[in-house]
This record gives sequence, C-alpha cells and structure tokens, in this order.
Amino acid sequence: MMKGNNHEPLRIGFYICHCGTNIASVVDVEKVAETVKTLPNVVVSRDYKYMCSDPGQDLIQKDIRDNKLNRVVVAACSPLLHEETFRKAIGRTNLNPYFFHMVNIREHNAWVHESREEATYKAIELSVGAIRRVSEHKSLERKKIDINQNVLILGGGIAGINAALTIADSGKKVYLVERDPSIGGHMAKFDKTFPTLDCAACILTPKMSAVKSHPNITLWTYSEMLDVDGFIGNYNVKIRRKPRYVNEELCTGCQECVDACVFKNPKFPDEFNLGLSKRKPIYLPFPQATPLVAVVDPENCLELKTGKCKKTCVEACGERNAIDFEQTEKIEEIEVGAILVATGFKTFDPARVPYYGYGVFPNVYTALEIERMINAAGPTNGEVLGRDGKKPRRIGIIHCVGSRDENTNRWCSRVCCLYSLKLAHLLKERTGADIYSFYIDMRTPGKSMEEFYNRIAEEGINLIRGRVADIYPENGENNGNGALVLQAEDTLISRVLKVPVDMVVLSTGLEPQTDAQEIRRKVNMSCSAEGFYLEKHPKLAPVSTFADGVFIAGCCQGPKDIPDTVSQSGAAAAEAMKLIDKGYVELEPNTAVVEEDFCSGCKSCIPLCPFNAISFEEERRKALINEALCKGCGTCTASCPSGSIRQNLFEDDQIFNEIDGILQDGLFERGLVTNGDNPYNIERNQSSERRCAESQSQ
Amino acid sequence: MITKPSELTGSEYIKEEGLTCQLDTGIDNIFDTEEGRKILSCIQCGTCVGTCPYGEHMEYPPRRIIRMLRGGMIDEIFTTDSLLKCVACYACMVKCPRGIRLSDVLLPIVKEQTLANLKQIPAELQSSLQNTLRYGNPMGESSRRRVNWIKSSPSPVPVMSEIKRPVDVLWFVECYTSYYSRGQDNSKALARLMNALGIDFAVLGNEEKCAGDCGQLTWESGLFETLTDYNMEIFRKYKFNRIITGDTHAFNAFRIRYPLYGFDYKVEHTTPFIARYLDQLKPKLKKKLDYTVTYHDACCLGRRAGFYEEGRELLKAIPGVNLVEMTHNRTNSICCGGGGGGMWLDTYFKEKGMERLSERRIKEAIATGADVLAVSCPYEIYRFEDALKTVDHDKPMIVRDVVELLAESLEETDDER
Repeated sequence: MMKGNNHEPLRIGFYICHCGTNIASVVDVEKVAETVKTLPNVVVSRDYKYMCSDPGQDLIQKDIRDNKLNRVVVAACSPLLHEETFRKAIGRTNLNPYFFHMVNIREHNAWVHESREEATYKAIELSVGAIRRVSEHKSLERKKIDINQNVLILGGGIAGINAALTIADSGKKVYLVERDPSIGGHMAKFDKTFPTLDCAACILTPKMSAVKSHPNITLWTYSEMLDVDGFIGNYNVKIRRKPRYVNEELCTGCQECVDACVFKNPKFPDEFNLGLSKRKPIYLPFPQATPLVAVVDPENCLELKTGKCKKTCVEACGERNAIDFEQTEKIEEIEVGAILVATGFKTFDPARVPYYGYGVFPNVYTALEIERMINAAGPTNGEVLGRDGKKPRRIGIIHCVGSRDENTNRWCSRVCCLYSLKLAHLLKERTGADIYSFYIDMRTPGKSMEEFYNRIAEEGINLIRGRVADIYPENGENNGNGALVLQAEDTLISRVLKVPVDMVVLSTGLEPQTDAQEIRRKVNMSCSAEGFYLEKHPKLAPVSTFADGVFIAGCCQGPKDIPDTVSQSGAAAAEAMKLIDKGYVELEPNTAVVEEDFCSGCKSCIPLCPFNAISFEEERRKALINEALCKGCGTCTASCPSGSIRQNLFEDDQIFNEIDGILQDGLFERGLVTNGDNPYNIERNQSSERRCAESQSQ
Repeated sequence: MITKPSELTGSEYIKEEGLTCQLDTGIDNIFDTEEGRKILSCIQCGTCVGTCPYGEHMEYPPRRIIRMLRGGMIDEIFTTDSLLKCVACYACMVKCPRGIRLSDVLLPIVKEQTLANLKQIPAELQSSLQNTLRYGNPMGESSRRRVNWIKSSPSPVPVMSEIKRPVDVLWFVECYTSYYSRGQDNSKALARLMNALGIDFAVLGNEEKCAGDCGQLTWESGLFETLTDYNMEIFRKYKFNRIITGDTHAFNAFRIRYPLYGFDYKVEHTTPFIARYLDQLKPKLKKKLDYTVTYHDACCLGRRAGFYEEGRELLKAIPGVNLVEMTHNRTNSICCGGGGGGMWLDTYFKEKGMERLSERRIKEAIATGADVLAVSCPYEIYRFEDALKTVDHDKPMIVRDVVELLAESLEETDDER
C-alpha cells in the first residue's frame, strides 16, 4: 500500500459531478467513476448530480468521517468557481483542505468536445492525473496578515466623494486625492441632471462641503499619486502635492487677491469653463470650489515668471498672509489598507471627426461647453449665445460623436442620448429655438429614463433618426458667419435632409483618462481593450480588480451616468470596508518558497518577479520571497538556475505525478497499474492509440 | 507633416488593409466573405446616404441597398438606375462607423448588375468602355499614337523597349496624360521634374494600355481582366524597381484590384513620390509663383489611400505660393464626379436633372478667392476647366496639376535655356 507524505496509508475519495447535464450530457460520468474506483488507494468513487450543492458537500464530509479519507479529488467545473467551496467543505472536517485537488472537466472538456467517447476518455485521463497528484499533497496553512485601517481614494468626482463619505462615516480614515485644485469633477460642471432635471450643483455641493469638514477625511487637492509600494492591506503610497502658492490653512477664499491682481482684466483661458471665459493668474476655480482656496497659475503669474511684480495680491491679502510664492512641491507618504480608484473619464475630442468642423466653424460646440454656457455661473451667466454674440434660432444636436464608430471609439458611451435630450430641453427652454436632434438609436435604459424621453419628445423637439454626415456653411463661404447646414439622411423616410442651424452641439462620448495607463501600472490593475479599468468579474465582482485590495468605481471602469456611478462607488466603498474591517487578510498558501540551503544568491529571480515580491537579504546572501506579495505565478520557480525555489501546490512531485497519471502508459511501465493492457475497459480509438505510441516513443 | 510611408507593394497593400473579398465575390456569396460579415453589422445610421454627393438622387442609396440585401429584395434595386449615380468617391466608405467597405466591394457589384439590367447603357459610357476594350484607351485614339507626346517634350523621356536595360522607375503614364493636350502638359512637367532630380525612369510607350480602374469601378470585370492580363504581361517583360503613375485611378487599380491577380510591384502615385524628394527639390524651386492656391484632394489618392498632406507640402515648398483650404477638404473633400464611370455620364446626369459635381466643387474653390486650383489627378484638369466655363466667377482661376506648378517654379537648366 502506497503511503502519503503524512505516513498514513492513502485513502482517496473521488467525486465526479454531472453539473446537471452540463457535464453528464457529454462525459459518461458513471464510467469515469467506475474506472477511477479500480485505481490503487481509491476508497470511494462516486458520481453526483450537483457536487457543489449542500448535499454534495455533505456527501464528501460524511465519506471523510466514515471512510477515514485523507485525500479528496473532485472532477467538476473550473476551480475558479468552486475550488474554494470544496476546500471549505473539507476544512469543516478534520482534514487539511489542501489534501484536495479539483479537475476541470466542464470548461476544459464537456463544453469544448463533441465526441462522448473521447471526452469520457479525457475525463478519465485527467482524473487519474489528479488521483496521482493528490497523493503528494501536503498539509498547508493560510497565513494571516494585519490590515491597515486607512483607505486611499483617487479622484474627487462624484464617485470619489460618495465613496469617501461612506467610508469616513463608518469611522475609517480616508485620504481623498484629487488632481485639480477643487473636487467636484465633471458633475460640478453640469447645469442640470437627467432625468429629474434637478440642479447638479444643488445636490453636489453639500457633499463637497461634507468632505471638506469631515474629521475622518484628509483632502488633498491639486495632488497626484506618485508611487505605490506594498501589498493588499499594507500599501505605502507617495502623493505629490503641487504648489498652489496659496496657503490652504490661511486662505479664506475672499478673492480680494484676484481683484487686486496686476492683470486688470482676466486674460487666460478658464479651465473650468473649458476656455469659454477668461481668468487671471490668481483665481478661484469656481464659486463653489472645495477647498475654497485661490490658486496661482505659475505659467502666467508675473511674480513667478519674472520675479518683478508689484505683488498687489499679497498686499490685498494683508494680515491673512496666505499667499506664499516660496511654496514648493511636497511629497506625502501614507500607509493604507485599500485603494479605491475613481479617476473618471475625459470627453472625446471632436476634432478627430474632421467633418463636424469643431475648431473650424465657430458655432460648433461640445455638449460640455453647452453645459457651462447654460449654467447660471457659467461664462455667459446662463445666456445661450453663439460666438458671433447672437442668440440661436435653430440648434442642431448630433449624437454619437466619438461613440459607436470604428474610426474613433467603438463603444456606446451610454449617457449621450439622455444628456442630449436634457440639453434639447434646456436649450429650448432658454432660447425658444427649434431643436433638431440627430440620433442613430435612442438609448434610454434605466429607471424613469424612457419616461424622460417621452416628456422631451412631447415638448416638440425634432428627433431625426440619422447620423449627420456633413456640416458646411449655408452661404458657401468659410468665414464663420451665417448658418451651418447639417446634412443627414432621415433614415425613417429615406430622404436626405439639409437643415440650416445657427448652433451645433456635438454630443461627445466618454473616453479613458489620458493617463489611465500610468495609474493602472502603478497599482497593478488590468484594463479592457478600450482602456477602461477591468473589473475582476463583469457580473459578480464588478468593483474589484485583479489587484487585491484595489477597487474601482465610476467612469474609470466604463461610461455610466450619475445614479450608476453613485451606486457603484457605494459598492466599492463596501468592498473596501469589508476588507479592512475584518482586520486581517488570509493569504493563499500556493506561494513560492526559497530553499535557502541551495540558493546561491545569484539574484536572477528578483527582476523576473512581476509582483516585486522577491528581495535580497544582503547579510545571508539569499533571496527572500514576501508571501503577501507572491501570487504563485511560478516564474521564479521555473527560472531558478539552482532549482532552489519551489512552490506550494505546484511541487515537482505533484506535477510529475499528475503528468504520469495523464500519460497513463507511464503508469503501466512503472507497474503501478497492473490489471491488464487496458485497465479502464475503454474502447480506444485510433487517435488515442496514436497518442500512446507517440508518448512511448518520446 | 508627412508621416505615412508612401511606397508599398501589392501584397503589402493587401496586408495593410486586409483582403475583403475575392475575385469571384458576387451578390450571391458576399455574406461568405469578411466584408459580408461587416455588412451584417450595419446599424442603418444613414451616414453613407448623407455624405453621398448624389445620395438625394438615388431611389436606393447605400443604406437601403444593405437593408434590401439582408431582406432578400436586392433584385428590386437592379430595376432602378440608383447605383449608376455612384461616382466611387469613397465618402461613404471612409465615414462608415462600422468600417463597411462599400465602394470597394458591395457598390461596384450592385453597379455591375444595374448596368446589366439597364434597358440602354448611356451612349457616352458605352462608347468609352468599348473604346477601352478595342484601343486600350477610352477616347478611342490609336494605340500607336500613345507615345507621340514624347516628341514634343522638352525633357527626354526614355521608352523601355528602346533603351533595353533595367530602370529604377517605370512610369505608367495612362490615357488622359498621353493623348489630351492638357494631360500632356502634366506629363511633360513630370518628365522635367524627374530629369531635374536625376531619377532613372522610363515609360512603356505604345505598349501601355489603360489600367482599367474605371472598368473596375463599374465592375466591368470582363473588360478589366482583359486589361489586367495585358498590362501584367508587359510588366513581366521588363526589369524595374517600382511603378509610378500620375493617374490616381491607375494607382487605385494597382493598389486594390491588381494584387488579386498577383501584381506585387512597389507602386506609388507621383504626388507622394515627388514629395519624397522634397529636400532635393526645394533648392531647385527658384522661380517665385505669386499665386493663392487651393488644393483639391483626389478621392483615390486622399480618402482611399490617405495621402492628404503630400500635395500640400509640395505646394508650400514653392516660393510665393499661398495655400488656402476649401470648406470641404481632406477626408471631407467633394468628388469631381469623374470616378466610377462618371467621367462619361455627364450627359446622362444632366438629363436626370443632377448638378455636375465638378461645378459644386469649383464653387467652393472660387469662394476661397484662390488664383489656382491645384489637383493631383488628370481627370480633374478637364472636369474643373470645363466647370469654370459654366460657373460664374469674377476673378480668373486656372487649374493646374501639382507637378505642373512645381515644374513652373523649377530653375531653368543650361539645356533648357
């Protein structure tokens, strides 16, 4: 009788799952169970309809007790789905949960094969491999690591704000880092929000001030994440705080400095109003800016550029003494247990669709520019005027600019149909103009959205189903005066329309931030093809990422509206709290281990590790693997020249045994399986004969 | 800024753009091709119809053709003349949000069937197609007179069959640039430029026949294949490193259809070809031309092949030239109306009450206030010079190929003096 490494006789239990008909319709599960039963050391071999169900798990637990099983193999679906289920079931008995191995006969077999005979044969091969492998399994323990109780949130838009308040209200400490001088993000720029048409600022600004005054939130605006080190539960993060040349503690936001600036008139493009208005070198980003602190733009400030300014701003600030031209960049180092990324999106640059004339014809605007123009605090105090200063009588809105287009971005940006309807309503309300809204498909999913569409349609907006193909001046001259003609096919009546308008609104799509990839690399996340951050599972782990302890929320994960963003940021906050509130994290034991006696200290493994988990102990000249960082990828194990790195659950004995089992002829040769040439009573067809012949000849 | 590599071989073009169809692709098997799968992804947005210069005159514009094809009602389209109005300008193709290559595959196939079902093919088109088959040129000139323009060229033009040695550049002159006087001006200008740049070149002379692009655009496959076989045979006779042609339609044929017949030479249009010599050429452009110039993007060179900046860079290199843009430029350029057989359908279009596209385009050129309309395709000289006769304009305007303007600015050599 063969003995396991705990010196007890091996007693293996084998279980094969029907998975309803998922597996059983292709694999003859009974035959597999019968065949495995004939193998040495297999004490129990059963098939069952749903192994993952409670009765299925009970079956295993009962067998472990009744038959004194010390090894378990389950042939079922992917270990990604249920390895944890079975390990837990086994862990509830006296058996160590790592005396278990799972065989994937669904994704790797039943779902991809058609021949029942071949699929059954493959299932047997894989199962025999697992039976042989599990013999070499060892008892392993999960390690616990303490978790830092602070959370870092990147991005101070509505997603970051909502997550910060949720986590801070639960009593945890939050660092909220925002790149711009104020939090608020895109939402702060909107006038009203669909479908309720409530004022964006009215619902956002209370949350912004709550962030500012919350005792558990450290708010760093005008700051960026420089660098991340560490691992789940214990991240060390460096934050760069750019100089704003105004002391945040001392500034009261009174703006007297702005009035006093030597530049009498605003001269520089105002970022918040997308360049539609001008600001001075010292400015407040917008009236509700949080923190309410002035910023100096070093590119244009006379003092910072030349050192020869009268500094009337300093004079105006007086005793408050908040202006500080000596301020320099500051690096803060913090420790956090979880990172929540809510870095948002950028709007598509419509100059990439040259035939829409953005930047060429003065009265072609982006939707976001129109949001600012409609806003009472915007560049025109809410009045809608073209660049020629005239009030438009006819306005065209073009949907899907930079969305659903192979030449630019392929995805639907999800919010444009609804914000276009909103803008149609607001523009009509403000100007009384005729609105022509050109759409491809009107997409209004979500609660109350279709009703909103219905309401706007009833207001008499001209909704035209057709994508605008050309824009040109009505009078034929390219001088920016006069109407622009929107040319499109009304596809529902199959007629080419040439609609003259005074103003064009381009409903631009949503894109990943320009530096999305940099952030992704810093925190070791993944990205989907279009550049948005990738969730761990699209349905079941939508706010987790492949980097443990890093969560995502809002448009950095993909385009979405405010309700969805807020829901998602709440979910991400809950996930982050779930992690840190537990206080510790259990680590999978499938990590690599250095056998120090054999390690020559060549350091070749160190640069190869994708997770920076290996360091070098100078004194003993040995490689050291940080178990918390090791993901068990096997790179170091495979590359170590002296073979001194091994990996739990992927030991050489285990892998070679599994291979031997799969290539069962190896079993015959070693005499471990002896009952005849064909111990499994399987009809082998030609291809499997050939396969055996090939493996023998090697 | 010119960033695009301009010289590729036939197989490199296929590699760059992917082979969307086979020689035997037709209306019955189109859904078996990669292009067919793209057609299935059509979202019926109508961009193709909105941008089509004659979209409003088609009973069945491209979007509806796709819908009818999907619905098994395609035969109904062949009973109308809709697709005869397609001038193969590639506007629908370049703007299609699903990347459907309408002008490359589906539209020519539909056009072929439309022609086959037409009670009477428009006379002008019929005679030019017949001429091309019989004489190797659409105007019905004698093939033995193709080389005659060389005699009046001030710069030497070697002919392959006479020099009996390999050359670097084989210049495929094409029909309009061989037979018509304004086309010959273009050829002579190019000959002068190439001599000035010391380029080792030769022409095929009377052995050359029309490349057949317009035959291909009307999917007159029989005619097109006759010409392809013939020209491929001639190419095999000689040794050369690359082919250049000043005719954007020949360039188009060599890039898109000839590779399906095994054509694998490096091929380039003269505008990007000369633009590659810009550094060498610039010091030789001594004569100041005080013109305001506007540049018309030829469909086959611009939209189809992506060469928008080369012509402009060449014009900007000429001292004194002030380059201005028309409202529709680059991707959004308006076709001169000569492609896809349109060159020989002016009378037919007029009968149908359709505006000549060359007139629509020349109005934009006039609106810029330019003295010169610069072009890169030999069709355009005729079409725009013609249009200038019928469209009112206060200020005189001339039409010139880019190479003609370059040659005009070129310093005179001792021989020429």
